[in-house]
Amino acid sequence: MAEQVKVEEVADAMYKMVKDSMGQKKWKATDLTKAVLELFGDRCDKALAKSAIRELIESGKCVYTYFGGSFIEIPHKEGAEN
Amino acid sequence: MAKEKRKTPKLDELEKGKWPSFVKEIKTAAEKNPMAEDLLGQLERSYEEKIGHWKHGGIVGVLGYGGGVIGRYSDLPEEFPNVSHFHTLRINHPAGWFYTSDVLRKLCDIWEKHGSGLTNMHGSTGDIIFLGTRTEELEPVFKELTDIGFDLGGSGSDVRTPSCCCGKARCEWACYDTMALTYFLTMHYQDELHRPAFPYKWKFKMAGCPNDCVASIARSDMSIIGTWRDEIQMDKEAVAEYAKSGLNIQRDVVGNCPAKCMDWDGKEIKIDNKACVKCMHCINTMPKALSPGKDRGACILIGSKAPIVEGALLSSVLIPFIKLEPPYTELIDLVDRIHEVWAENGKNRERVGEFIQRVGMGNFLEAIEVEPIPQMIAHPRENPYVFYEEYYEEDGEDSDGQEEEK
Amino acid sequence: MAEEKQKRVTDIGPPHYEKFLPPVIKENYGKWKYHEILKPGVMVHVSESGANLYTVRASSSRLLSIDKIRKYADLADKYCDGYLRFTSRNNVEFLLTDKSKIDPLIQDLQVLGHPVGGMGNSISNIVHTQGWVHCHSAATDASGIVKSVMDELIEYFTEMKLPSKIRIALACCLNMCGAVHCSDIAILGIHRRPPKVDKSRLKAMCEIPSVVASCPTAAIKPATYEGNPSVEVIEERCMFCANCYTVCPAMPLNDPLNDGVSIWVGGKVSNARSEPMFSKLAIPFIPNNPPRWPEVVGAVKNLVEVWAKNAKPYERMGEWINRIGWPRFFEMTGIPFQKEHIDDFKHAGLTFKRSVHLTY
Repeated sequence: MAEQVKVEEVADAMYKMVKDSMGQKKWKATDLTKAVLELFGDRCDKALAKSAIRELIESGKCVYTYFGGSFIEIPHKEGAEN
Repeated sequence: MAKEKRKTPKLDELEKGKWPSFVKEIKTAAEKNPMAEDLLGQLERSYEEKIGHWKHGGIVGVLGYGGGVIGRYSDLPEEFPNVSHFHTLRINHPAGWFYTSDVLRKLCDIWEKHGSGLTNMHGSTGDIIFLGTRTEELEPVFKELTDIGFDLGGSGSDVRTPSCCCGKARCEWACYDTMALTYFLTMHYQDELHRPAFPYKWKFKMAGCPNDCVASIARSDMSIIGTWRDEIQMDKEAVAEYAKSGLNIQRDVVGNCPAKCMDWDGKEIKIDNKACVKCMHCINTMPKALSPGKDRGACILIGSKAPIVEGALLSSVLIPFIKLEPPYTELIDLVDRIHEVWAENGKNRERVGEFIQRVGMGNFLEAIEVEPIPQMIAHPRENPYVFYEEYYEEDGEDSDGQEEEK
Repeated sequence: MAEEKQKRVTDIGPPHYEKFLPPVIKENYGKWKYHEILKPGVMVHVSESGANLYTVRASSSRLLSIDKIRKYADLADKYCDGYLRFTSRNNVEFLLTDKSKIDPLIQDLQVLGHPVGGMGNSISNIVHTQGWVHCHSAATDASGIVKSVMDELIEYFTEMKLPSKIRIALACCLNMCGAVHCSDIAILGIHRRPPKVDKSRLKAMCEIPSVVASCPTAAIKPATYEGNPSVEVIEERCMFCANCYTVCPAMPLNDPLNDGVSIWVGGKVSNARSEPMFSKLAIPFIPNNPPRWPEVVGAVKNLVEVWAKNAKPYERMGEWINRIGWPRFFEMTGIPFQKEHIDDFKHAGLTFKRSVHLTY
């Protein structure tokens, strides 16, 4: 069993994925989980990915959004906002 | 009182009549609250123009949660600045919707301070709805709610606020403790309720008997409907009382039995309980004389939903009978297996019922490790398009090259 | 900052329901023996212990001001030691142990403008959605139609003179927050015009890939407008779900000329007698006519009264229609049958008449 990566590292990797595809692709929690499992291989598991998402959201770097389904995005001014 | 009172001739029409008027409610709130006042104005405009004036806000919420707040913005913010933001909070109601006057007043006090003063008791899913406030009020409302022991409910692709009928609190037909299970599931799935991690929404609805007073079979991904396995309990004297009081037992009770499992000879009702389908009609009609059996539990059904996206579905049988007692281990194991499979393979906005339609119920059952049984179907398939995954070859190997098992 | 974060309370869930149960319920939890409707809107539950619990059910507009909730609280204090509950159909219920307090409570509720009823063979409250009060995709208002219909049908709420119960529900678009699709009568707001792309504002307000991805029927594709990226709608693929408008305010679907109401009949969720059923289309389209939607009110009243006159005791709307058949339903209700009634979505053939079981 390989040593697990740190939760911050997973969160950072997720943040980069979200940031790099902003405006092009919306990520769901499960998409991010699948992506980091692929990236880190056996150094990451679902529980760790879940903690990383929580870290990402509670740090305020990302927020959950709802646009006909829930996504994880970088906070931004949306079109509807007054 | 310098400000002139807003004129709302269209809405005023809806103050007339005997049914309680929502316009009166908005006007009452508007006397003290500028948000309610502008809501009245914008709604009057909608009534004039026959069109709504709201935009969806998808980003607002409280820190850490992905559910519980529905963002709304007016598309006429210059004219109705006080509803420029008009976000809704969903607040997880106590199971069974029981309250004390004391706790209702506390909720009202919070909403008087931080929002429009308008509510829904309750929203479609069951939550207390606080209707309309500004973004910067969301955190203070949340803080004050948690101070009095309340939390936000679900919205988005998460476990939605579970709800139930009043069950054993006030119904003799409750075949399991719906309020206890609702509370248990709500607490057990707090993380899944607040942090959306599913393809789409997941609803649990707990009904104590097949009358299904919470419409669980029509609108919950998992419908847990109370039922029983043994004989309908009968009080023969009470049957005689009903007959004496003029109930037409032959026509109204026996004649409406869908299983045709009852006989009435003018003195006694005889029931072939093996054939009874637990529809509740006879029990509903003679509540003093008949009641569900003693071996009570629930039937678990899966997959109902409204039409979006692939068409409406009713829930269908997954587990015909289960005893539901704390710690509910068997139920939780089942739910977790379903969530795992659906979260991993479902598409965005795909409810579990639609997921099952796409992958096939047989494959779904295999994935969640539940044996197929005839109780799950209305009838077997009528088409011959069976997709076998394996077949045998002459040389004794099956299609994927494995040695045939002897 | 770190301290602030620690103090934040989350994931506590709702308060435990036991805190809000009156003593008579706590003492008789799971011990109820039978119940009886004493008169419209009033029932008694009798426990094995002999205890009696009286319930008085009053109508409510669902949309309630905090002032009204406080008045409910005052009534609960005056008559029920402070205990009350709400029902799955948005009525309010007062829970009493003293029978002599029932009539004074009903009096006070009348004064407050909340008639008592909705039990047994009656029309209970109409469950409904937000409509123009709060929804961005509403094709009609919800509360206004409900108020207008119930004003007209109130005698069926306050009395018990129908063959069976009848459940009416309203959803203001086909997303159907709430289960209107299995109601005896469902009033459903519908859009009929695909979203109009606000080409000049779309680029500034919305992410094009998200708008394209939002459409469940792949009816939206990228396009260019005056050199700027935009989208176009393949109109015949649109099924009016409004998801694109949810994602992008420059895709308005709402339209006064084409929005309106459809009416559906014969659904039920209870298992009593017949199995649960979906509602079926009765009236494809009625234009919005606020503030009181007289055409919708008239249509619903007609359906209720034709059913009430012809159904056998205990027969729900759908059970009655199944017995008499759809041709007679259309004949008796006077609703014209038209092309839109015939299904053309998936498995539509299952809804065609596939026998000669007909009446002449």
